[in-house]
Amino acid sequence: MAETTIAVLSFALTLMVFSYLLGDVPLIGSLYRIAVYIFIGMTAAFTLVVSYEGVILPFLQDIQDPATSWTTLGNRADVYIFFAALLFALLLLLKPVKSLTWLTNSVFAVVIVVGAAVGVTGAITGTLFPLLQATVALQEDLAADFGALVDTLLIFLGTVSGLYYFHYQLRAKADGGGEQSPIGRGFRHLGKVFLVAALGAIYASTMLSCLTILTERIGFLFQFGA
Amino acid sequence: MDEEFNWLEYSESMERATADAEDSASRRGLRRFLPRLPKLPGLPRLPRFSRPSLPGLPSLPRLPRLRRGAQASASAQPLASELLGGQSNRPVEELDDRLRALRERSNSGAPAPYQSLFDVDEALVSPAFQGKPGGVISAVALSKAQQQQVEMLKDIVGGPLQAPADDNRRLPRPTRLFSLSALPRLLGTALLILTASLPFVSSDFAEGELPPADFAEDRQGAADFYNKIDKVGSADYVLVAVEYGPAAAGELDSLAELLLRHILIRRAKPLIVSSNPIAIVHAQNIMQGINRSIPNVNARLASGEDYHLLRYLPGGALGLRELSENFADFARVSSRGQLTGLELKSLEDMALILLITESADDLRNWAEQVLPEVASMDLLAATGYAAQPLAQAYADSIPDIIGPVYGLRDAYTYGEKLRANFKPLLPADSDRQADVELAPISEPPVSGPLFSGEPEAEVERERATALPAATATHAPTATPAMTATLQPTSTDTPTPTATDTPAPTATDTPAPTATEETLLAVEVVSTQRVNIRRRPTTVDDVLGLGNPGDLYEVLGTNGDGSWYQIALGDGLEGWVAAFLVEEREISANQLAGGEEPDSASLPRERAVMRLDFTLRLGKNQPRYYQAPAPLPGARPELALPRDRSQEIPRLHAMTMGTVMAVLVIVIGNLFYAVRGLLRRRSPRV
Repeated sequence: MAETTIAVLSFALTLMVFSYLLGDVPLIGSLYRIAVYIFIGMTAAFTLVVSYEGVILPFLQDIQDPATSWTTLGNRADVYIFFAALLFALLLLLKPVKSLTWLTNSVFAVVIVVGAAVGVTGAITGTLFPLLQATVALQEDLAADFGALVDTLLIFLGTVSGLYYFHYQLRAKADGGGEQSPIGRGFRHLGKVFLVAALGAIYASTMLSCLTILTERIGFLFQFGA
Repeated sequence: MDEEFNWLEYSESMERATADAEDSASRRGLRRFLPRLPKLPGLPRLPRFSRPSLPGLPSLPRLPRLRRGAQASASAQPLASELLGGQSNRPVEELDDRLRALRERSNSGAPAPYQSLFDVDEALVSPAFQGKPGGVISAVALSKAQQQQVEMLKDIVGGPLQAPADDNRRLPRPTRLFSLSALPRLLGTALLILTASLPFVSSDFAEGELPPADFAEDRQGAADFYNKIDKVGSADYVLVAVEYGPAAAGELDSLAELLLRHILIRRAKPLIVSSNPIAIVHAQNIMQGINRSIPNVNARLASGEDYHLLRYLPGGALGLRELSENFADFARVSSRGQLTGLELKSLEDMALILLITESADDLRNWAEQVLPEVASMDLLAATGYAAQPLAQAYADSIPDIIGPVYGLRDAYTYGEKLRANFKPLLPADSDRQADVELAPISEPPVSGPLFSGEPEAEVERERATALPAATATHAPTATPAMTATLQPTSTDTPTPTATDTPAPTATDTPAPTATEETLLAVEVVSTQRVNIRRRPTTVDDVLGLGNPGDLYEVLGTNGDGSWYQIALGDGLEGWVAAFLVEEREISANQLAGGEEPDSASLPRERAVMRLDFTLRLGKNQPRYYQAPAPLPGARPELALPRDRSQEIPRLHAMTMGTVMAVLVIVIGNLFYAVRGLLRRRSPRV
């Protein structure tokens, strides 16, 4: 009975999502929104429960664990961290008070700045350096590995021309206008070609993802019907 | 217009208005508690900077300046209208429906639908212009270039910038239930769904080749991916990051289930983690699905013992950095807030990191935040199709990233490879009964050469892989397949002792005779309960439900073999769809009195230690539970019993759907191109 109910609800929600195809029309258009609201609401509820059970409760448990004393340095540090986090959380609650918004913004600033710093260092060590090393790691005997040389040149050309495509600045002419050299225009077009190829590959991959999900839904409906 | 706007006067008025606004705002905020400082009197205002024409100095040459702009312009200022001129000159007929409606509304002079937007000029009016009739619009004199830009904006927006007098501030709602503009996308979607549904209806529409049973030579990364997991040992931990939500479940569930099965077959322990809280819940469902597919209830997996669901990882990149640096603390608590009992020191204790993700950003985050923190640790990437391009670039460039394995086709190949490698090692169905019977014996558990340890298992695995698949089919005889397929030669592996391979005695299992009658039966292989109907059609009555793992004697099939007629007991007969079951040859005794798998039972909780949190001090006493000692060696039975009924139809549906999608895109573009050309030639068309 429960499985049947779940299957019927799944079917109904699937149809409600497909009602998006009809556009923003009265009644029917609301079905898509209702399905999305249900999804978002359940996601928020699950997030709350999982966060409470997996993050907040263990943290509180650490703080009030009688087996460890506050006099130990490690636990004291945990207490400091706990109260700092609590203070930050309380400051976030002040967001509706307009005159104290700057306090909330300062908390956001700390989080954003630390996040940006972690992101930048991670990007350098985890992506930039490895990609650079892989790009410039040409084989010693280029004749023996001509393919690697071509790959490297393509990567180099694609990177530089792709970046140059977003170079909108022009050198001003004497009459006040702007101009770009023919080489620059050609390089921009080359960058556009690389960008289009990359976006096309991503689009095709995304379409395959959507098709996979569609076939899973269709298979589920046929399996349920059988 | 000849009269230019006086920016100097405007800036001074704006300055005064801003100072007044700050003064009033400061009195509303915390500054109201502070004493007001008196303004410094008597300071003369400094003259504003202007471009003076000092006598006697030659005028400096005008330096070349860099300006933003895509096209050269003959005028002094590159105009936005010139830059976008090509777009605004586009014929009305070539615009899509919404833009055309805006354009037509603009030409007809009708009021814009979203009239409240035109209140913006009233809200933003400077105090310098308050009280003046017409507001800021009438007070600002625009140059010719600015006027052109305004005209272009009006052309795009589709209405005058003046709010009409009868502004009722209500957004109009569309009144038609169905718009013809929705017809093309409805038609395309219907065609796509119809085409993708055909392979599920009939095998006549099974277009496209199935993926190979092994990864091709040019997929070295995928082959390495498989081999890495295949080499983990029974004492190893594998960190499995399940980073996809419900939206991608249809794409990645089958691959995730296979990878988890592979890890569990090797008796390694997956530690499942995610920065997506919903993914944690979803991973729990996948593990329960794997558990339900194990027919022997006593052999099912236990959370907290055979696998661990670690707590939710909040914070995005920050959380990942925390994970990589304080993994021991992170792995201390499960997703349910209970202690895991894991004694791990750092992420280095993991044998592998396996990332299953739908997003390229997740892969990037793991590669950037986690991988640099661990030395010589492999990150195995399993992705959806959408994340594959970036994953491939990372795998090609960074040696520590292995893979990627992606999409439904790779899932099929992975499953076939798993079956080919482990199916020959499986005991026959009757011997699985023997395992069930042997479990309560206090003697050491089954630890033959296959199950005794890593080196032996590796040797046996290689030998078994070389066996043809035909030998792996179910033996109708009752001879234990363990001795038939796993009997090691003296040169390959050490000779098993009597305690390693216990021979089933008459007291352990009923010794079937060679003359025992065998029956053709079907086993429900779907993970969900299936309908058993009165006639072989989905529109007929449902007589009952079959649980996963249930066995039914086969009485016959329909014409095309898509339905089995089965015996339901008490003389009743019913029909079940063929793709939900698999054929088995079993003994009559097994069907009559064999073990009925309890498919509805959930996996047993045999956690080593659980700590139930309360918010009161002194109430946090851990509760210990007895856990049976885990069996050593591989668990090949996990390779087979999973739901594969939808796998092949889905692959064919992917092919059909891809073809139809390409056709829709191509035909649609051709249609609009031809229509645009015709309308450009003949505006009346």
